[in-house]
Amino acid sequence: MNGRKDWDSMRIKSLLKLLPLKQAFAHCDIPCGIYDPHLAQMAAHTMIRMTQMLGEVKRESETKAEHDIARMTHVKEDHADVLEEELETLRNDYFKEEHFRKYPRLNDLFIKTLNAAGKARQSIDIKAAQEALAGAQEIAEIFFKTKGVKSIRVKTVYPTGGEIVLHK
Amino acid sequence: MLLARFKVSGHSMEPQIKNGEEVLVTGIIYLFKKPKINDIVAFKKDKKVLIKRIIGIDDDKYFVAGDNKNDSLDSKTFGLISKRQMLGKVI
Repeated sequence: MNGRKDWDSMRIKSLLKLLPLKQAFAHCDIPCGIYDPHLAQMAAHTMIRMTQMLGEVKRESETKAEHDIARMTHVKEDHADVLEEELETLRNDYFKEEHFRKYPRLNDLFIKTLNAAGKARQSIDIKAAQEALAGAQEIAEIFFKTKGVKSIRVKTVYPTGGEIVLHK
Repeated sequence: MLLARFKVSGHSMEPQIKNGEEVLVTGIIYLFKKPKINDIVAFKKDKKVLIKRIIGIDDDKYFVAGDNKNDSLDSKTFGLISKRQMLGKVI
């Protein structure tokens, strides 16, 4: 009897999956105007660092290695959340239709960067993590253009090296 | 709205609806009975679809709020929701 119910439930779920998926928001969308692409870039740098460190784990003690891997994976996962959340906030709350019209590659840039962040989250993939950072940097440059300020790329003081986009 | 599937972005309805979770919304139910307090509803606001819970009703106006008080904006900021804005109930 339960088997039949499970089968029916699975069939209903499969049918419902045929419905197109739209977006709904449950944000705090108070128009406070406080937006900054800095956190997204820091999160991407952290993902790069965790990916590097995961590749450098020493196997002298299995227990310690497993513990370190668990912690680094956890931090990488947390920062993937931060990166995705920050990008979604910029995409959904800050950038308006006129921005997407003025910068036609902006939408693809978000898709590409979110995909790279997802890939870097799911695997130990330094290239994906670097692509996520590159995307976050380009989005930051467009963000500052919309604010009418000049952006600059400065060398970071992080162990990951590389750059971060700030404004003058 | 007959039936629609939405992916929810945001934390204001946690723990009931988590960021990234998919929900189904139907307007059919409101053809037969009025929305009531505690219903989680989808409605249109500034061309966006928002999801909140009804916490008060005044005639055909609905006072909505998020469950997660640390992260939600309630009707005091964007006003009461009219039945015309209502798309349906989250089921």
